[in-house]
Amino acid sequence: MPRLGPYLAQVWRRRAFVAEYSRSELRAQNFGSIFGQLWLILNPLLLALVYFLLIMVIGGTADGRRFAHLTAGLFLFYLVTNSLTAGAKSITSGGKLILNSAFPRLVLPLAATVIAFFKFIPTLVVLAVIAILLAEPISFNLFLLPLVLALSLILSLALALLFATLNVYFRDTKNLLPYLTRAWLYLSPVLYESSALKPALAPLKYLNPLAPFIDSWSGVIVSGSTPTGSHWLLMLSWSIGLLVISGYLFLSREREFALRI
Amino acid sequence: MNLRSVSDQHAAGERAVLIDNLSLTYITTVEKKPTFRQALTRTGRKTREVNALRHLEVEIPYGSVLGVIGANGAGKSSLMRVIAGIIPPTTGRVEVSGKVSTLLALGVGFNPRLTGRENVILGGLAAGMTRAEIESQFDDIAAFAEIGDAIDSPMKTYSSGMYSRLAFAVSVVVEPDILIIDEALSTGDARFKKKCLERIKALRGDNRAIIIVSHALATVKDICNEVLWLHQGQVKMQGEPDQVIAAYKESLQVAASPAADEDV
Repeated sequence: MPRLGPYLAQVWRRRAFVAEYSRSELRAQNFGSIFGQLWLILNPLLLALVYFLLIMVIGGTADGRRFAHLTAGLFLFYLVTNSLTAGAKSITSGGKLILNSAFPRLVLPLAATVIAFFKFIPTLVVLAVIAILLAEPISFNLFLLPLVLALSLILSLALALLFATLNVYFRDTKNLLPYLTRAWLYLSPVLYESSALKPALAPLKYLNPLAPFIDSWSGVIVSGSTPTGSHWLLMLSWSIGLLVISGYLFLSREREFALRI
Repeated sequence: MNLRSVSDQHAAGERAVLIDNLSLTYITTVEKKPTFRQALTRTGRKTREVNALRHLEVEIPYGSVLGVIGANGAGKSSLMRVIAGIIPPTTGRVEVSGKVSTLLALGVGFNPRLTGRENVILGGLAAGMTRAEIESQFDDIAAFAEIGDAIDSPMKTYSSGMYSRLAFAVSVVVEPDILIIDEALSTGDARFKKKCLERIKALRGDNRAIIIVSHALATVKDICNEVLWLHQGQVKMQGEPDQVIAAYKESLQVAASPAADEDV
Protein backbone atom coordinates (compact mmCIF):
# COMPACT_ATOMS: atom_id res chain seq x y z
CA MET A 1 0.00 0.00 0.00
CA PRO A 2 1.65 3.27 -1.10
CA ARG A 3 1.39 6.41 1.01
CA LEU A 4 -1.81 8.13 0.01
CA GLY A 5 -0.63 11.75 -0.15
CA PRO A 6 2.34 11.34 -2.51
CA TYR A 7 0.35 8.81 -4.55
CA LEU A 8 -2.52 11.19 -5.12
CA ALA A 9 -0.01 13.93 -6.00
CA GLN A 10 1.37 11.59 -8.67
CA VAL A 11 -2.16 11.00 -9.97
CA TRP A 12 -2.77 14.77 -10.03
CA ARG A 13 0.42 15.21 -12.07
CA ARG A 14 -1.08 12.80 -14.64
CA ARG A 15 -4.35 14.73 -15.04
CA ALA A 16 -3.33 15.75 -18.57
CA PHE A 17 -2.85 12.06 -19.36
CA VAL A 18 -6.36 11.23 -18.17
CA ALA A 19 -7.89 14.04 -20.24
CA GLU A 20 -5.86 13.26 -23.35
CA TYR A 21 -6.44 9.51 -23.09
CA SER A 22 -10.20 9.98 -22.76
CA ARG A 23 -10.35 12.34 -25.73
CA SER A 24 -8.25 10.09 -27.97
CA GLU A 25 -10.23 7.03 -26.96
CA LEU A 26 -13.57 8.69 -27.77
CA ARG A 27 -12.23 9.86 -31.12
CA ALA A 28 -10.97 6.36 -31.93
CA GLN A 29 -14.27 4.69 -30.99
CA ASN A 30 -16.20 6.47 -33.73
CA PHE A 31 -13.26 6.80 -36.11
CA GLY A 32 -14.38 6.22 -39.68
CA SER A 33 -18.14 5.91 -39.06
CA ILE A 34 -20.45 8.10 -41.15
CA PHE A 35 -22.11 9.90 -38.26
CA GLY A 36 -18.85 10.13 -36.31
CA GLN A 37 -19.19 11.97 -33.01
CA LEU A 38 -22.97 12.26 -33.59
CA TRP A 39 -23.12 8.67 -32.30
CA LEU A 40 -22.50 10.04 -28.83
CA ILE A 41 -26.07 11.36 -28.90
CA LEU A 42 -27.60 8.78 -31.27
CA ASN A 43 -26.52 5.81 -29.13
CA PRO A 44 -28.39 6.78 -25.94
CA LEU A 45 -31.40 8.03 -27.90
CA LEU A 46 -31.80 4.78 -29.85
CA LEU A 47 -31.26 2.83 -26.64
CA ALA A 48 -34.06 4.74 -24.91
CA LEU A 49 -36.41 4.19 -27.86
CA VAL A 50 -35.76 0.44 -27.90
CA TYR A 51 -36.51 0.12 -24.19
CA PHE A 52 -39.57 2.32 -24.57
CA LEU A 53 -40.77 -0.10 -27.24
CA LEU A 54 -40.24 -2.91 -24.74
CA ILE A 55 -42.29 -1.37 -21.94
CA MET A 56 -44.97 -0.32 -24.42
CA VAL A 57 -45.36 -3.86 -25.76
CA ILE A 58 -45.21 -5.51 -22.32
CA GLY A 59 -46.99 -2.85 -20.28
CA GLY A 60 -49.67 -2.06 -22.85
CA THR A 61 -49.67 1.68 -22.36
CA ALA A 62 -46.91 4.18 -21.91
CA ASP A 63 -47.05 7.93 -21.56
CA GLY A 64 -44.56 10.78 -21.65
CA ARG A 65 -43.89 10.55 -17.95
CA ARG A 66 -42.92 6.90 -18.20
CA PHE A 67 -40.64 7.73 -21.10
CA ALA A 68 -39.00 10.53 -19.13
CA HIS A 69 -38.41 8.23 -16.14
CA LEU A 70 -37.05 5.53 -18.46
CA THR A 71 -34.59 7.80 -20.25
CA ALA A 72 -33.42 9.54 -17.09
CA GLY A 73 -32.83 6.22 -15.33
CA LEU A 74 -31.31 4.51 -18.35
CA PHE A 75 -28.75 7.25 -18.99
CA LEU A 76 -27.61 7.29 -15.38
CA PHE A 77 -27.49 3.49 -15.34
CA TYR A 78 -25.27 3.49 -18.42
CA LEU A 79 -22.98 6.12 -16.91
CA VAL A 80 -22.24 3.77 -14.02
CA THR A 81 -22.05 0.50 -15.98
CA ASN A 82 -19.99 2.01 -18.84
CA SER A 83 -17.46 3.05 -16.23
CA LEU A 84 -17.59 -0.41 -14.63
CA THR A 85 -17.16 -2.28 -17.94
CA ALA A 86 -14.40 -0.08 -19.34
CA GLY A 87 -12.74 0.01 -15.92
CA ALA A 88 -12.69 -3.79 -15.78
CA LYS A 89 -10.62 -3.93 -18.98
CA SER A 90 -8.51 -0.84 -18.26
CA ILE A 91 -5.63 -2.66 -16.55
CA THR A 92 -5.60 -5.88 -18.53
CA SER A 93 -5.67 -4.05 -21.87
CA GLY A 94 -3.10 -1.46 -20.78
CA GLY A 95 -0.43 -4.17 -21.01
CA LYS A 96 2.38 -2.45 -22.89
CA LEU A 97 1.98 0.83 -21.08
CA ILE A 98 1.96 -0.90 -17.69
CA LEU A 99 4.96 -3.10 -18.49
CA ASN A 100 7.06 -0.26 -19.81
CA SER A 101 6.18 2.86 -17.82
CA ALA A 102 6.17 3.71 -14.15
CA PHE A 103 3.02 5.63 -13.25
CA PRO A 104 0.20 5.32 -10.71
CA ARG A 105 -2.08 2.67 -12.22
CA LEU A 106 -5.13 4.42 -10.79
CA VAL A 107 -5.14 6.77 -13.80
CA LEU A 108 -6.33 3.96 -16.10
CA PRO A 109 -9.64 3.14 -14.34
CA LEU A 110 -9.99 6.86 -13.66
CA ALA A 111 -9.83 7.47 -17.41
CA ALA A 112 -12.54 4.83 -17.87
CA THR A 113 -14.80 6.81 -15.55
CA VAL A 114 -14.01 10.07 -17.35
CA ILE A 115 -14.82 8.46 -20.72
CA ALA A 116 -18.15 7.21 -19.35
CA PHE A 117 -18.82 10.75 -18.12
CA PHE A 118 -17.96 12.26 -21.53
CA LYS A 119 -20.44 9.84 -23.08
CA PHE A 120 -23.02 10.86 -20.50
CA ILE A 121 -22.80 14.61 -21.11
CA PRO A 122 -24.68 14.63 -24.48
CA THR A 123 -27.54 12.71 -22.84
CA LEU A 124 -28.12 15.74 -20.60
CA VAL A 125 -29.25 17.58 -23.74
CA VAL A 126 -31.74 14.82 -24.49
CA LEU A 127 -33.00 14.94 -20.91
CA ALA A 128 -33.33 18.73 -21.05
CA VAL A 129 -35.47 18.49 -24.19
CA ILE A 130 -37.70 15.85 -22.59
CA ALA A 131 -38.08 17.93 -19.43
CA ILE A 132 -39.12 20.95 -21.49
CA LEU A 133 -41.62 18.89 -23.48
CA LEU A 134 -43.13 17.59 -20.23
CA ALA A 135 -43.66 21.25 -19.30
CA GLU A 136 -43.04 20.64 -15.60
CA PRO A 137 -42.55 23.92 -13.75
CA ILE A 138 -38.85 24.67 -13.27
CA SER A 139 -38.07 23.57 -9.75
CA PHE A 140 -35.37 24.73 -7.37
CA ASN A 141 -34.52 21.06 -6.97
CA LEU A 142 -32.73 21.10 -10.32
CA PHE A 143 -29.79 22.54 -8.38
CA LEU A 144 -29.56 19.20 -6.55
CA LEU A 145 -28.84 17.32 -9.79
CA PRO A 146 -25.08 18.12 -9.87
CA LEU A 147 -24.81 16.74 -6.35
CA VAL A 148 -26.55 13.47 -7.30
CA LEU A 149 -24.35 13.31 -10.39
CA ALA A 150 -21.17 13.86 -8.35
CA LEU A 151 -22.08 10.99 -6.03
CA SER A 152 -22.88 8.82 -9.06
CA LEU A 153 -19.40 9.55 -10.45
CA ILE A 154 -17.81 8.50 -7.16
CA LEU A 155 -19.78 5.24 -7.34
CA SER A 156 -18.70 4.82 -10.98
CA LEU A 157 -15.03 5.23 -10.09
CA ALA A 158 -15.35 2.86 -7.14
CA LEU A 159 -16.83 0.15 -9.38
CA ALA A 160 -14.21 0.75 -12.09
CA LEU A 161 -11.45 0.23 -9.49
CA LEU A 162 -13.11 -2.85 -8.03
CA PHE A 163 -13.65 -4.60 -11.35
CA ALA A 164 -10.25 -3.55 -12.73
CA THR A 165 -8.65 -5.38 -9.80
CA LEU A 166 -10.97 -8.38 -10.07
CA ASN A 167 -10.27 -8.78 -13.78
CA VAL A 168 -6.50 -8.91 -13.22
CA TYR A 169 -6.88 -11.93 -10.95
CA PHE A 170 -9.90 -13.58 -12.60
CA ARG A 171 -9.93 -13.02 -16.33
CA ASP A 172 -13.42 -14.57 -16.50
CA THR A 173 -14.83 -11.41 -14.96
CA LYS A 174 -15.10 -9.63 -18.28
CA ASN A 175 -17.09 -12.53 -19.73
CA LEU A 176 -19.56 -12.38 -16.87
CA LEU A 177 -19.99 -8.61 -17.10
CA PRO A 178 -22.63 -8.44 -19.88
CA TYR A 179 -24.90 -10.75 -17.86
CA LEU A 180 -24.16 -9.00 -14.61
CA THR A 181 -25.01 -5.56 -15.97
CA ARG A 182 -28.12 -6.85 -17.75
CA ALA A 183 -29.43 -8.44 -14.56
CA TRP A 184 -28.55 -5.28 -12.65
CA LEU A 185 -30.61 -3.23 -15.11
CA TYR A 186 -33.68 -5.38 -14.43
CA LEU A 187 -33.11 -5.16 -10.67
CA SER A 188 -32.90 -1.37 -10.84
CA PRO A 189 -35.90 0.98 -11.02
CA VAL A 190 -35.35 1.90 -14.66
CA LEU A 191 -37.98 0.00 -16.64
CA TYR A 192 -40.37 0.40 -13.68
CA GLU A 193 -40.64 2.75 -10.73
CA SER A 194 -39.47 1.83 -7.25
CA SER A 195 -43.00 2.28 -5.92
CA ALA A 196 -44.17 -0.52 -8.23
CA LEU A 197 -41.94 -3.12 -6.52
CA LYS A 198 -43.78 -5.97 -4.76
CA PRO A 199 -43.34 -5.86 -0.95
CA ALA A 200 -41.22 -9.00 -1.11
CA LEU A 201 -38.77 -7.22 -3.39
CA ALA A 202 -38.79 -3.94 -1.47
CA PRO A 203 -35.36 -4.58 0.20
CA LEU A 204 -33.87 -4.02 -3.26
CA LYS A 205 -34.28 -0.31 -2.60
CA TYR A 206 -31.55 -0.60 0.04
CA LEU A 207 -29.49 -3.54 -1.25
CA ASN A 208 -29.15 -2.30 -4.81
CA PRO A 209 -26.52 0.48 -4.72
CA LEU A 210 -28.00 2.10 -7.81
CA ALA A 211 -31.62 2.28 -6.60
CA PRO A 212 -31.32 5.50 -4.55
CA PHE A 213 -29.32 7.19 -7.32
CA ILE A 214 -31.87 6.42 -10.05
CA ASP A 215 -34.83 7.26 -7.80
CA SER A 216 -33.35 10.63 -6.87
CA TRP A 217 -32.13 11.50 -10.36
CA SER A 218 -35.37 10.61 -12.10
CA GLY A 219 -37.48 12.09 -9.29
CA VAL A 220 -35.95 15.54 -9.71
CA ILE A 221 -36.12 15.49 -13.51
CA VAL A 222 -39.58 13.96 -13.99
CA SER A 223 -41.57 15.39 -11.09
CA GLY A 224 -39.28 17.96 -9.51
CA SER A 225 -39.31 16.15 -6.16
CA THR A 226 -36.57 16.49 -3.55
CA PRO A 227 -34.57 13.32 -2.78
CA THR A 228 -35.46 12.07 0.71
CA GLY A 229 -33.05 12.03 3.62
CA SER A 230 -32.72 8.27 3.48
CA HIS A 231 -31.87 8.51 -0.22
CA TRP A 232 -29.05 10.97 0.53
CA LEU A 233 -27.79 8.71 3.28
CA LEU A 234 -27.88 5.63 1.04
CA MET A 235 -26.15 7.43 -1.84
CA LEU A 236 -23.43 8.77 0.43
CA SER A 237 -22.73 5.45 2.12
CA TRP A 238 -22.76 3.39 -1.07
CA SER A 239 -20.49 5.75 -3.02
CA ILE A 240 -18.00 6.65 -0.29
CA GLY A 241 -18.06 3.18 1.28
CA LEU A 242 -17.39 1.41 -2.01
CA LEU A 243 -14.69 3.91 -2.97
CA VAL A 244 -12.81 3.32 0.29
CA ILE A 245 -13.03 -0.46 -0.04
CA SER A 246 -12.18 -0.75 -3.73
CA GLY A 247 -9.60 2.03 -3.52
CA TYR A 248 -7.80 0.13 -0.76
CA LEU A 249 -8.04 -3.11 -2.75
CA PHE A 250 -6.66 -1.50 -5.90
CA LEU A 251 -3.83 0.46 -4.26
CA SER A 252 -2.66 -2.47 -2.16
CA ARG A 253 -2.50 -4.68 -5.26
CA GLU A 254 -1.37 -2.36 -8.01
CA ARG A 255 2.35 -3.01 -7.60
CA GLU A 256 1.63 -6.60 -8.54
CA PHE A 257 -0.24 -5.75 -11.74
CA ALA A 258 2.89 -5.55 -13.91
CA LEU A 259 3.77 -9.09 -12.82
CA ARG A 260 0.37 -10.50 -13.72
CA ILE A 261 -0.38 -9.08 -17.12
CA MET B 1 11.03 20.41 -15.44
CA ASN B 2 14.14 20.90 -17.50
CA LEU B 3 15.98 17.66 -18.09
CA ARG B 4 19.20 19.41 -19.05
CA SER B 5 19.55 21.29 -15.82
CA VAL B 6 19.11 18.04 -13.91
CA SER B 7 21.65 16.27 -16.11
CA ASP B 8 24.35 18.84 -15.52
CA GLN B 9 24.57 17.92 -11.86
CA HIS B 10 26.14 14.54 -12.52
CA ALA B 11 29.84 13.86 -12.91
CA ALA B 12 31.62 10.92 -14.50
CA GLY B 13 32.15 8.07 -12.06
CA GLU B 14 29.35 9.22 -9.79
CA ARG B 15 26.98 6.37 -9.04
CA ALA B 16 23.89 6.31 -11.27
CA VAL B 17 22.36 2.97 -10.31
CA LEU B 18 23.10 0.69 -7.40
CA ILE B 19 21.58 -2.77 -7.33
CA ASP B 20 22.04 -4.47 -4.01
CA ASN B 21 21.23 -8.15 -3.50
CA LEU B 22 18.25 -7.85 -5.81
CA SER B 23 15.91 -10.78 -6.34
CA LEU B 24 12.68 -10.90 -8.27
CA THR B 25 10.28 -13.82 -8.01
CA TYR B 26 7.10 -14.27 -9.96
CA ILE B 27 4.50 -16.73 -8.77
CA THR B 28 2.58 -18.18 -11.67
CA THR B 29 0.21 -21.02 -12.22
CA VAL B 30 0.98 -23.33 -15.07
CA GLU B 31 -1.92 -21.93 -17.08
CA LYS B 32 -1.17 -18.66 -18.74
CA LYS B 33 -4.18 -16.66 -17.65
CA PRO B 34 -5.81 -17.07 -14.24
CA THR B 35 -9.54 -17.82 -14.28
CA PHE B 36 -12.38 -18.42 -11.85
CA ARG B 37 -12.46 -22.15 -12.53
CA GLN B 38 -8.82 -22.50 -11.59
CA ALA B 39 -9.34 -20.32 -8.57
CA LEU B 40 -12.05 -22.73 -7.43
CA THR B 41 -10.07 -25.89 -8.18
CA ARG B 42 -6.65 -24.61 -7.22
CA THR B 43 -6.58 -26.23 -3.80
CA GLY B 44 -3.58 -28.53 -3.77
CA ARG B 45 -2.57 -27.40 -7.23
CA LYS B 46 1.06 -26.49 -7.49
CA THR B 47 2.07 -22.99 -8.42
CA ARG B 48 5.37 -22.36 -10.10
CA GLU B 49 7.90 -19.94 -8.72
CA VAL B 50 9.94 -18.20 -11.35
CA ASN B 51 13.17 -16.70 -10.08
CA ALA B 52 13.59 -14.05 -12.74
CA LEU B 53 16.49 -12.38 -10.92
CA ARG B 54 18.65 -13.85 -8.16
CA HIS B 55 20.92 -11.90 -5.80
CA LEU B 56 22.13 -9.38 -8.32
CA GLU B 57 24.89 -6.95 -7.34
CA VAL B 58 25.50 -4.32 -9.99
CA GLU B 59 26.75 -0.76 -9.91
CA ILE B 60 26.46 1.54 -12.87
CA PRO B 61 28.42 4.83 -12.79
CA TYR B 62 27.68 7.94 -14.79
CA GLY B 63 29.65 8.15 -17.99
CA SER B 64 29.36 4.44 -18.67
CA VAL B 65 27.59 2.56 -21.41
CA LEU B 66 26.57 -0.84 -20.09
CA GLY B 67 25.60 -3.60 -22.48
CA VAL B 68 23.37 -6.33 -21.09
CA ILE B 69 23.53 -9.65 -22.89
CA GLY B 70 22.22 -13.13 -22.25
CA ALA B 71 19.93 -15.78 -23.65
CA ASN B 72 16.18 -15.25 -23.95
CA GLY B 73 14.62 -15.49 -20.51
CA ALA B 74 17.85 -14.61 -18.69
CA GLY B 75 16.09 -11.73 -16.91
CA LYS B 76 17.34 -8.81 -18.99
CA SER B 77 13.98 -7.12 -19.49
CA SER B 78 12.96 -7.83 -15.89
CA LEU B 79 16.12 -6.08 -14.71
CA MET B 80 15.35 -3.05 -16.90
CA ARG B 81 11.84 -2.86 -15.50
CA VAL B 82 13.09 -3.00 -11.93
CA ILE B 83 15.61 -0.20 -12.62
CA ALA B 84 12.87 1.89 -14.23
CA GLY B 85 10.70 1.41 -11.13
CA ILE B 86 7.97 -0.45 -12.99
CA ILE B 87 8.27 -3.71 -11.08
CA PRO B 88 9.03 -3.73 -7.34
CA PRO B 89 11.89 -6.07 -6.36
CA THR B 90 10.92 -9.07 -4.24
CA THR B 91 13.98 -8.62 -2.00
CA GLY B 92 17.01 -6.35 -2.07
CA ARG B 93 17.09 -2.77 -3.14
CA VAL B 94 17.65 -0.54 -6.12
CA GLU B 95 18.98 2.99 -5.76
CA VAL B 96 18.68 5.27 -8.74
CA SER B 97 20.15 8.76 -8.59
CA GLY B 98 18.95 10.80 -11.52
CA LYS B 99 16.06 10.80 -13.91
CA VAL B 100 15.62 7.37 -15.40
CA SER B 101 13.82 6.95 -18.72
CA THR B 102 10.62 5.57 -17.31
CA LEU B 103 9.37 5.49 -20.85
CA LEU B 104 10.91 2.35 -22.20
CA ALA B 105 10.74 2.36 -25.94
CA LEU B 106 8.09 -0.32 -26.09
CA GLY B 107 5.66 1.74 -24.01
CA VAL B 108 4.86 3.58 -27.21
CA GLY B 109 2.08 2.03 -29.20
CA PHE B 110 0.22 0.53 -26.29
CA ASN B 111 -3.06 1.39 -27.97
CA PRO B 112 -3.01 0.37 -31.65
CA ARG B 113 -6.30 2.16 -32.34
CA LEU B 114 -4.73 5.53 -31.59
CA THR B 115 -2.40 7.36 -33.93
CA GLY B 116 1.37 7.46 -33.55
CA ARG B 117 1.14 11.08 -32.43
CA GLU B 118 -1.48 10.28 -29.77
CA ASN B 119 0.54 7.32 -28.53
CA VAL B 120 3.72 9.35 -28.19
CA ILE B 121 1.91 12.12 -26.32
CA LEU B 122 0.10 9.66 -24.05
CA GLY B 123 3.28 7.69 -23.34
CA GLY B 124 5.04 10.90 -22.35
CA LEU B 125 2.18 12.11 -20.19
CA ALA B 126 1.98 8.73 -18.44
CA ALA B 127 5.71 8.93 -17.75
CA GLY B 128 5.05 12.21 -15.92
CA MET B 129 6.20 14.71 -18.56
CA THR B 130 4.20 17.86 -19.08
CA ARG B 131 2.41 18.58 -22.31
CA ALA B 132 4.78 21.49 -23.02
CA GLU B 133 7.84 19.24 -22.62
CA ILE B 134 6.41 16.69 -25.02
CA GLU B 135 5.31 19.24 -27.58
CA SER B 136 8.70 20.91 -27.57
CA GLN B 137 10.28 17.57 -28.45
CA PHE B 138 7.61 16.11 -30.65
CA ASP B 139 8.94 17.53 -33.92
CA ASP B 140 12.38 16.09 -33.17
CA ILE B 141 10.82 12.70 -32.48
CA ALA B 142 8.80 12.73 -35.69
CA ALA B 143 11.80 13.92 -37.69
CA PHE B 144 14.08 11.27 -36.23
CA ALA B 145 11.57 8.47 -36.86
CA GLU B 146 11.18 9.52 -40.52
CA ILE B 147 7.78 7.92 -40.92
CA GLY B 148 6.19 10.95 -42.60
CA ASP B 149 2.41 11.35 -42.57
CA ALA B 150 2.01 7.94 -40.95
CA ILE B 151 2.50 9.70 -37.60
CA ASP B 152 -1.20 10.64 -37.82
CA SER B 153 -2.48 7.17 -38.77
CA PRO B 154 -3.65 4.59 -36.23
CA MET B 155 -0.69 2.48 -35.11
CA LYS B 156 -2.42 -0.74 -36.11
CA THR B 157 -1.57 0.27 -39.69
CA TYR B 158 2.17 0.44 -38.94
CA SER B 159 4.72 -2.06 -40.14
CA SER B 160 7.04 -3.46 -37.47
CA GLY B 161 9.82 -1.29 -38.86
CA MET B 162 7.79 1.91 -38.55
CA TYR B 163 6.79 0.85 -35.07
CA SER B 164 10.33 0.41 -33.82
CA ARG B 165 11.51 3.59 -35.54
CA LEU B 166 8.99 5.60 -33.56
CA ALA B 167 9.77 3.70 -30.35
CA PHE B 168 13.48 4.33 -30.70
CA ALA B 169 12.97 7.98 -31.59
CA VAL B 170 11.00 8.49 -28.38
CA SER B 171 13.59 6.87 -26.15
CA VAL B 172 16.57 8.82 -27.49
CA VAL B 173 15.04 12.25 -28.06
CA VAL B 174 13.74 12.54 -24.51
CA GLU B 175 17.37 12.51 -23.18
CA PRO B 176 17.05 11.28 -19.59
CA ASP B 177 20.03 10.96 -17.20
CA ILE B 178 19.78 7.20 -17.27
CA LEU B 179 18.79 5.92 -20.69
CA ILE B 180 17.50 2.39 -21.06
CA ILE B 181 17.29 0.94 -24.54
CA ASP B 182 15.64 -2.47 -24.50
CA GLU B 183 16.05 -4.29 -27.80
CA ALA B 184 14.71 -1.32 -29.74
CA LEU B 185 17.29 -2.02 -32.41
CA SER B 186 15.78 -5.34 -33.34
CA THR B 187 13.99 -4.21 -36.47
CA GLY B 188 14.50 -1.47 -38.96
CA ASP B 189 16.63 -1.27 -42.07
CA ALA B 190 20.41 -0.94 -42.17
CA ARG B 191 20.37 2.81 -42.73
CA PHE B 192 18.10 3.52 -39.79
CA LYS B 193 20.12 1.19 -37.57
CA LYS B 194 23.25 3.13 -38.45
CA LYS B 195 21.47 6.35 -37.57
CA CYS B 196 20.41 4.87 -34.20
CA LEU B 197 23.95 3.82 -33.38
CA GLU B 198 25.27 7.26 -34.23
CA ARG B 199 22.64 8.77 -32.01
CA ILE B 200 23.56 6.52 -29.10
CA LYS B 201 27.22 7.40 -29.55
CA ALA B 202 26.31 11.08 -29.55
CA LEU B 203 24.37 10.61 -26.33
CA ARG B 204 27.32 9.05 -24.51
CA GLY B 205 28.70 11.49 -22.04
CA ASP B 206 29.94 12.11 -18.53
CA ASN B 207 26.54 13.13 -17.23
CA ARG B 208 24.62 10.17 -18.54
CA ALA B 209 24.48 6.42 -17.98
CA ILE B 210 23.24 4.27 -20.85
CA ILE B 211 22.05 0.70 -20.52
CA ILE B 212 21.57 -1.24 -23.73
CA VAL B 213 19.90 -4.63 -23.91
CA SER B 214 20.77 -6.29 -27.17
CA HIS B 215 21.51 -9.56 -28.90
CA ALA B 216 23.58 -7.73 -31.49
CA LEU B 217 27.00 -8.51 -30.05
CA ALA B 218 28.95 -6.50 -32.59
CA THR B 219 26.96 -3.40 -31.70
CA VAL B 220 27.45 -4.01 -27.99
CA LYS B 221 31.20 -4.41 -28.50
CA ASP B 222 31.25 -1.24 -30.57
CA ILE B 223 29.48 1.18 -28.25
CA CYS B 224 29.67 -0.22 -24.70
CA ASN B 225 32.54 0.19 -22.28
CA GLU B 226 31.24 -2.50 -19.96
CA VAL B 227 29.16 -5.63 -20.49
CA LEU B 228 26.96 -7.55 -18.09
CA TRP B 229 26.15 -11.14 -18.96
CA LEU B 230 23.00 -12.42 -17.30
CA HIS B 231 22.36 -16.13 -17.11
CA GLN B 232 19.20 -17.54 -15.52
CA GLY B 233 18.70 -14.44 -13.42
CA GLN B 234 22.26 -14.25 -12.13
CA VAL B 235 25.34 -12.28 -13.12
CA LYS B 236 27.48 -14.77 -15.01
CA MET B 237 30.17 -12.27 -15.86
CA GLN B 238 30.77 -8.55 -15.88
CA GLY B 239 33.66 -6.54 -17.27
CA GLU B 240 35.49 -5.62 -20.45
CA PRO B 241 33.27 -6.04 -23.54
CA ASP B 242 35.84 -8.15 -25.44
CA GLN B 243 36.29 -10.66 -22.63
CA VAL B 244 32.64 -11.00 -21.65
CA ILE B 245 31.41 -11.29 -25.20
CA ALA B 246 34.08 -13.86 -26.03
CA ALA B 247 33.09 -15.94 -23.02
CA TYR B 248 29.40 -15.58 -23.88
CA LYS B 249 29.98 -16.68 -27.46
CA GLU B 250 31.96 -19.64 -26.26
CA SER B 251 29.11 -20.72 -24.01
CA LEU B 252 26.77 -20.50 -26.98
CA GLN B 253 29.27 -22.43 -29.10
CA VAL B 254 28.60 -20.07 -31.94
CA ALA B 255 31.96 -18.36 -31.90
CA ALA B 256 32.47 -19.17 -35.52
CA SER B 257 29.01 -18.19 -36.65
CA PRO B 258 28.70 -14.72 -38.10
CA ALA B 259 25.01 -14.69 -37.18
CA ALA B 260 25.76 -13.65 -33.59
CA ASP B 261 27.43 -10.46 -34.77
CA GLU B 262 24.54 -9.35 -36.90
CA ASP B 263 22.17 -6.76 -35.63
CA VAL B 264 19.21 -8.99 -35.00
